[in-house]
Amino acid sequence: MKYILKKIATLIMTLFLVSVAAFVAFQIIPGDVVTSILGTEATEEREEQLREELGLNDPPVTRYINWVGDVVKGDLGESYRFSKNMNEMMPVKELIGDKLPVTLWLAAIAVVLIIVISIPLGVFWAKSKSKVLDAVMGVLTQTAMAIPSFFLGILVTYLFGIVFKWFTPGGYVSYQENFWGFMGYLFFPALSVAIPKIAMTARFLRNSMITEMKGDYVRTAYSKGCNDRRVMYLHVLRNAMMPVITFLGMIIAEIVAGSIVVEQVFGLPGIGRLLISSISTRDFPVVQILILYITFVVIFVYFLVDILYRVIDPRISNK
Amino acid sequence: MKKVFGRLKQNKYLLAGVIMTGIAVLLALVSIFWTPYSTTAMSAAEKFDAPSFRHLFGTDNFGRDIFSRVMKGMGTTILISTLVVLLAGAAGILIGALTGYFGGIVDEIVMRITDAINGFPSILLALVVITLMGSGRQNLIISLAIVFTPSFVRIVRSEFIRLRDADYILRARLMGVGKLRILFVHILPNIFSTFWVSVMIGFNNAILAESGMSYLGIGVQPPDATLGMMLSDAQGYLTTAPWYALAPGLSIVWLVLGFSLLSEGIRRQA
Amino acid sequence: MIKIENLSVAFDGTEVVKKLSLTIADGEIVGVVGESGSGKSVTALTMMGLVSEEATITSGKIWYDDTLLLEAGKPRDKALYRSFQGSKMSMIFQEPMTSLNPTKRVGNQVEEMLKLHTTDLTAKQMKEKVLEAFLSVGLKDAERVYECYPHQLSGGMRQRVMIAMAIILHPGLVVADEPTTALDVSVQSQIIRLLRKINKEQKNSMLFITHDLNLAKRLCNRVVVMKDGNVVESGTVNEIFDHPKEEYTRKLIEAVPSREKKMQRFSMNVGDIQNANGQNMPLQRPDILEVKDLNVSYMDGSNSLFSSKKKKQVVTGATFTMKQGEILGLVGESGCGKTTLSKAILGMNKDVEGSIIHHSNQPQMIFQDPYSSLNPAKTIGWLLQEPLRAAGLRDKQFEMTKADREAAAFDMLHKVGLSDKYFYRKSSQLSGGQRQRISIAQALITRPGLVIADEPVSALDVTIQAQIMELMRKLQEEMKLSFLFISHDINVIYQMSDRIMVMKEGRIVEIGETQEIFDNPKEAYTKQLLAEV
Repeated sequence: MKYILKKIATLIMTLFLVSVAAFVAFQIIPGDVVTSILGTEATEEREEQLREELGLNDPPVTRYINWVGDVVKGDLGESYRFSKNMNEMMPVKELIGDKLPVTLWLAAIAVVLIIVISIPLGVFWAKSKSKVLDAVMGVLTQTAMAIPSFFLGILVTYLFGIVFKWFTPGGYVSYQENFWGFMGYLFFPALSVAIPKIAMTARFLRNSMITEMKGDYVRTAYSKGCNDRRVMYLHVLRNAMMPVITFLGMIIAEIVAGSIVVEQVFGLPGIGRLLISSISTRDFPVVQILILYITFVVIFVYFLVDILYRVIDPRISNK
Repeated sequence: MKKVFGRLKQNKYLLAGVIMTGIAVLLALVSIFWTPYSTTAMSAAEKFDAPSFRHLFGTDNFGRDIFSRVMKGMGTTILISTLVVLLAGAAGILIGALTGYFGGIVDEIVMRITDAINGFPSILLALVVITLMGSGRQNLIISLAIVFTPSFVRIVRSEFIRLRDADYILRARLMGVGKLRILFVHILPNIFSTFWVSVMIGFNNAILAESGMSYLGIGVQPPDATLGMMLSDAQGYLTTAPWYALAPGLSIVWLVLGFSLLSEGIRRQA
Repeated sequence: MIKIENLSVAFDGTEVVKKLSLTIADGEIVGVVGESGSGKSVTALTMMGLVSEEATITSGKIWYDDTLLLEAGKPRDKALYRSFQGSKMSMIFQEPMTSLNPTKRVGNQVEEMLKLHTTDLTAKQMKEKVLEAFLSVGLKDAERVYECYPHQLSGGMRQRVMIAMAIILHPGLVVADEPTTALDVSVQSQIIRLLRKINKEQKNSMLFITHDLNLAKRLCNRVVVMKDGNVVESGTVNEIFDHPKEEYTRKLIEAVPSREKKMQRFSMNVGDIQNANGQNMPLQRPDILEVKDLNVSYMDGSNSLFSSKKKKQVVTGATFTMKQGEILGLVGESGCGKTTLSKAILGMNKDVEGSIIHHSNQPQMIFQDPYSSLNPAKTIGWLLQEPLRAAGLRDKQFEMTKADREAAAFDMLHKVGLSDKYFYRKSSQLSGGQRQRISIAQALITRPGLVIADEPVSALDVTIQAQIMELMRKLQEEMKLSFLFISHDINVIYQMSDRIMVMKEGRIVEIGETQEIFDNPKEAYTKQLLAEV
C-alpha cells in the first residue's frame, strides 16, 4: 500500500515535470501567436486586446498556474486555430473529445493482439525441438521486427483492402454510430501496429523461457520426477513471464507512437493527425494538452504494469 | 583478416548482417557519384512503368526511375542515421560514464530526465523538438540525436555502475589510478561489446524514426529523395502501381533488418 | 543396491567420465571426492537421469536393485526414470537458492513430490506430511516455513527444505551434490549432522559428492577419489585417509589445510629476536597499522526520494594493531564485517568513526574471485605495469621509462612463478590459480607495506590453494610484507597466520597468537568455531 502511494506520488511528479516542460518549451519558441492568429495586417490595439484576452501579458509563472489550474478543473483551453463559430473559439476539449477514443482503442486492440498472439507463439517456439522450425521462426520474427508500422499498414491496405477487399481503404465508422463496425475498422490498423511487436515479444518470451529452462530449479523439478509438460507449465512459464511483463510495459510507449503514425496510413480521425497538424500550424494549446494526455496514458500504463508485477512476483511484493 | 572470415563463417547472423548493410552502404555510396537515371528527370511517357530491366523497380507518377531514387533515399537515410548515432552515442558515453561512475544528485536528475524521455514515444518527441527548432535536415539530425541520447546514457550508465565496483576497478583505485583514467582506460574498453550492440540497435531505431518522420512529411524536405517520403507519395497509387510503394518500403526493411542482424551477430560474438 | 558398471559419459566427443564402476550398498554413505572437472557431478547427474541431453553415454550400465535404469546405446527411458526420481532416488543440490523455484511457496514445492508419486492422500494429509517432514529436518516453525518463498529463508533453511523434499518419500538413495559448499561453516556442520541422522533413521543409501575431504571423512563410510573422469582410488574412510595407496590421493590429503599437520606450519617470521634458550621473543617490530575504536556503517535503503535511509552499523569498536612483517589472520562467518573492516582500512568506506593510522604507503588488496580481479580487456603485461604508470602520472618523481617498467613487470612475473609468455596474454587465457598469481603480482609490484587478502584461496581447488598459500608466505618473507589475511576457513588461517583475530557480528571477540588461540580459546564463539571443523 505504501508502495502504491509512493508510486502515485512519482506519477504526479512526472506529470508535473512534463507539464512544465511542455509549457516552457512553447514559451521559448520563435513566432508570435498573436500575429499568427490575426495576420500581419491587424492594428496594434487589436493585437494588444487579444494579448490581454489570451492572458499573454501575465508573468510566466502566473500563466502556468492558471493553465494547470484550468486543466485540472477540466477546462483545457481554446484552440488558436479552429473556431466554433464567428464569435466563439474552439475549446480544445471538444476538439480532442471524439478523437482520443480512436487512438486509445487502436492502441488497446494492438496490445490485446500482441498478448494473445505472442505468448502462445513464444511458448510453442521455446518448446519445439525442431531445428528447421527454429530457423524459420528466427527469420520470420527478425523480418517482422524490421518492418516499420506505416509500411506494414500500406501492405495490409494493399493485401486486405485492395486485393481481398475485406475492408474499404480510407473508410471509417465512428464509434457512436456503430461500435462493432468501428472496431472492425480499427482491426487492420491495430494489426499493423501489432505485428512487429508480436515478433519482438515472442522472441523475448522464447529467449526468456530458454534461459529459465537452464535454471537449477528446473533440474530440481526433473529430479522429483516431473515430466516435460509439468516442468514447462507449472515451473518455467511463470518465471519466464516476469521479464516479459516488464518488456510489454516498456513497449507501450512505442505502441502509442505506432498507433499515431498508423492513423495516417489508414486515414483514421485520431489524435495523431490532430497533433501533427497542430504542430505544423503552431496551435500550442492543443499540442500542450495532447502531450500531457499521451504522457499520462503512457505513465499510467507503466504504473499498472508495475503493480501487476508486484502482484505476481513474490520476490518483490514480500520483501 | 582470416580471423574475420572465420568468424563470419561461424556466425550466420553477422554474415547476413554484413552482406545486407554492405550492399545498402555500397549503393548509397555509389549514388553520390552515379545513379542509373537522374533522380529528378521526369518523363511523361514513362509514367508508372512496371519493374523491368530498363527500370529495375519501375517508375513513379512523374516517370522518375524508382531504383535511382531508392539509391539516393538510402543514402540520405544512412547519412542521417549515422550522424544521429554518432552524436547520440558520443553524448551517451560521456554522460553515462560520468553519471554512472560518480552517482549522486546529478545522476539522480539525469536519470529522471532520461526516464521521462524514454517513456515518451520517441517519434512524438522528435516531432516536438523539430517544431521547436524548425524543420530541415540539420534540425532533424539534432532532434533525433536528442531523442536517442537517453537510451545510450542508460546502457552506458548501467554498464559503468556494474563495473565501477568490480574487483579490478577497486584495485585500480587502490593503485592510485586517476579518475578519468579509470573511466576511459580501465572501464570503457570493457563495455564496447555491449555498446556496439546498442549502436546497431540505435541505427535500427534511427532509420525507423527518420523514415517515419519523412513519411509524415516532417523530416527532410523535397526535392531530396527519402524513402519515407516516397512511401507516402506512393500510397496514393497503390491500386495502379503497387511496386512504387514496395520499393522504398522494402528498402527500409532491408536496412533495418541488416542492422538488426548485425546487432544480433555482435551480441552472439561477445 | 546401486551398481554402476563401466560408465563413460562424453560431451562433444570428449569423455568426462571414463569407465567408472561404483556400487553403493544398502544404508551406506559413499563419498565421491575430487577437484573441479573430475567428473563427479556428471556421474551423479547421469545416475539420476538428469544429465543434459548433449551428453552421450558411450559405455556402461546403471542398476537400481534389479532394475536396469540406463544402458549405453539405448535412449534414456524417461518414463521409467520418472517413476524412480523422487520416490526411490532423490537429489540435493549445491545452491539451495537457485535450486528452488523462486516464485512458488516452498511448502507447495515439497508437496509436489507427494502429488507426483502418491494417489491416496487428501490435500490436508499432504500438508500434514509436509509439515512433518519440515519438523524432521529441524525446521521448527513448520507452518510459517510452509507459506514462505525461497528468498524469505536463510541459506541453511533453504537447504533443509531441499532435504525435506528429498526424503519425504523415504527414497532408497539420496544423492547430495556439494550440499554444504554454499553455506557458512556452522550451518555446514548442522547439515552434515542432519544428513547423518536421516541416514540412521531412514536407512537410505547416500551418495555424497564433495571437493572437501574433511567433510567426506566426517560423513562417509566409503570414499571414491576421482580425477579427470577416472576413479583414482576407492576404499573405506580409514583406508583412504590413513593409508592412501595412490600418489594423487596422498597429494590431495596433504594439500588440505589442517591442524594435525603441525609440520606444515611455516616457521615463525625471520628476524625475530630469540632469547638465550632459542625461544621466540614477543614481536618487537614497529607497528604498521593502528586501528582504534573503529565504527563502520553504511547507508541502507535505495537511492529513492521517498525511502528514508537507515544507517546500519557493520563494524563496532574495532581496536587492534598490526606489526611490520606480520601475518594477521582474520576469521569469521559471512556477514560478520570482515570485508567492511578491510575496506575501511583501505580508505574505501567513508562512513567511519574512530581512527586508522597507517605507517606505510597505500595498502593493496587481493580478492577472492580470481575471475573478477583482473581487467579482462588488458594484457597481463599492461596490468602489471599499470600501478607503476599510475604512480608516475600522480607524481613526477616516480616516473619510469617504459623499459624499466617492463623489466619490473617481468621480474614480478617471475617472482610469482610464471614464465615470460604470460606477459602477452589476457586474463581470459589463464587458469584460476594463475590469475590469482597475477593478482598478487599486481598488488605487490609497488612494494606496499601492507596487503589485505580477502579470502584469496577460497575459490581455488585444494591443490592450487596449497600452492598459492605457499607463494604468499614466500613473498611475505622475501619482501618483508605485512598481510591481513581474511578467511572463513579456520585451518587456512592456522597455516598462514602469526596472530589471529576472531570477528562476530561486527565485533572483534578475540585476538592473540595463533597457537595460543588454538590451544586455549577464551571466548565461547571461538571455541565453537574451532570445534566445528
